[in-house]
Amino acid sequence: MKRLSPPLITFAGFAAAAAAAPWVMGDGGISLFFEILLMLAMAQLWNLLAGYTGLVSMGLQCFVGFGGYTTIFAANYFSVSPYWVLPLAPLVCGLVAACSTLLLFRLRDAYFSIATWVFSEVVAVLVLMMPGLGHVTGMTLETARDIDYETFLLTNFWIAAAIAGGTTFGIYVLMRSPLGLGMLSVRDNEIAATSIGVDVWRNRFIAYVATAAGCGLAGGVSFMAALFITVTTAFDLNWVVAMIFIVIIGGFGSIEGPIIGTVVFFGIRELFTNALALTGSWYLIALGTVAVLTMLVAPTGIWPFVRDRLGIEWLSVKRDVPYAYAKPVS
Amino acid sequence: MVWLGTIINGVLLGGLYGLFGVGLALVFGVTRIVNIMHGEFIALSAFVALGLSMLLPNAHPLLLIAPVVIVSFVLGYALQAIFVNRAMRLPDPVAPLLLTFGLSVIVRNLMVEAFGVNPRSIRRGDFAQLSVDVFGIPIGVLPLVTLALAVVLFLVLQFLLRRTEIGRIVRATADNAETVRLMGVRPASVYNIVMGLSFALAGVAGLMLALRTTFTPFSGVERLLISFEVVVMGGLGSFWGAMLGGIALGVAQLVGLRLNPNSGFLYGNLVFFAFVMLRPNGLFGSRL
Repeated sequence: MKRLSPPLITFAGFAAAAAAAPWVMGDGGISLFFEILLMLAMAQLWNLLAGYTGLVSMGLQCFVGFGGYTTIFAANYFSVSPYWVLPLAPLVCGLVAACSTLLLFRLRDAYFSIATWVFSEVVAVLVLMMPGLGHVTGMTLETARDIDYETFLLTNFWIAAAIAGGTTFGIYVLMRSPLGLGMLSVRDNEIAATSIGVDVWRNRFIAYVATAAGCGLAGGVSFMAALFITVTTAFDLNWVVAMIFIVIIGGFGSIEGPIIGTVVFFGIRELFTNALALTGSWYLIALGTVAVLTMLVAPTGIWPFVRDRLGIEWLSVKRDVPYAYAKPVS
Repeated sequence: MVWLGTIINGVLLGGLYGLFGVGLALVFGVTRIVNIMHGEFIALSAFVALGLSMLLPNAHPLLLIAPVVIVSFVLGYALQAIFVNRAMRLPDPVAPLLLTFGLSVIVRNLMVEAFGVNPRSIRRGDFAQLSVDVFGIPIGVLPLVTLALAVVLFLVLQFLLRRTEIGRIVRATADNAETVRLMGVRPASVYNIVMGLSFALAGVAGLMLALRTTFTPFSGVERLLISFEVVVMGGLGSFWGAMLGGIALGVAQLVGLRLNPNSGFLYGNLVFFAFVMLRPNGLFGSRL
């Protein structure tokens, strides 16, 4: 029965649901789920960095925005369909992230968090000042006029589904690999990790660059679908704020957490802004209240709280202790 | 001469930035919490000052300091007692940070609902426009008063922490919250007072901000980054470092804006980076 493990069922179910979605939902549903899936991917990435590697970044909006600008600028520059230049977004963002580690990795803990935010602000102002990137008015995707809107929407949705699925299961596989174990050890105790031969810097570097590349790709797809980008929307602090909300509500340092957090995040949004037709600020107040209550009642987040009470496993990356060590000492 | 004027105004602006940061530095130094709510309290205090100035239209704006400080102290004390202390009992050090994060979103959006998003200002008579000429350089009286006020508050805080019994208790709690229990001190009560003091300082900062410029419910979060930078540059938990960090940022911002009017806070941010590269632990990388 090992072949029908919960992760495999989840993955197959997700792929089937994504493939069948256009026959079940209208355009509105597809657009909503497009947004949800990209947010899920970004929340997973924030959790990879903060929950699994111990690097709490407040500056991932930098890569969301930079990925968006890279995609739209390159599509306009080469006059091609944005799909061709989409791979540039993660590449460029990964490169920027790799260079920024020279600066950012000199700093620890709260210093690192604040410095990533400052770095994002610096990049935002540089993009704003750079000639050819539209300054305050932003940029429009010029090749958009050749696009058939119906297929564009669907293709984007499937790309978003692939990114969300790829990130979630990629992180699942990663965390079960020796590299993932190394990241956990770096998070838990840097000195102890070093003493058993884990290269702390290398683990952090890989996690940071991978996260940046993923956020760049998600940002590229998001702004490609929007057909338009400005500095204020691209480098918006709310990108990372949403990621943090989702992860803390759902459960820090677990793969299920961001999934549940995304459901709660968008559930509250749809309930308040659509069903109850309240203003955006009431939705944010509700979200803040949920976060505060989560911290006071179930500080580890919803998923770990439920998991520990019910004793269930879903996408667990927990390892079994090798038999020789698990034996009680007689 | 123009440059000298720019630098002097930068130093004066730095007084305000130092005020933004000092409350954060105090809370971090004692409780090790990165308080995300700080920006919201600066904005909320600006609105409290606005309300008070409507109630007392003839009072001199600087007389508002006393009531604003009292209101802020009570609010900070209550928030710490009701919410943050609860999160601090948890083993996870990220919990209080995330709690203040949630609270800041709530407070900010309640302000949006209550006061709207249009920029507000306090009618402050001609006090804000007053300026004195020093060797031909016009210097605003209000920024000068802000810097003086910041220095006085820093001295008062320093005196409070170094020379009084409550200060000794606060420093002892900052050093080791477990050991002070043996001496009959409840760390939670100390944290309440410290958060109250921090909010009182944010209150003064909010009042000075409201006198200086227009403000919205988002004025706090827009300045949260500056507050953080000030604290990091000074060394987390250091007050004089925060003051000098604020001044460095103020000068960098105004000089940068003169070099390129579109640069926003770019030069301030670059100075921050240059600074943390040279001194990764801040100017005074020590505790209280």
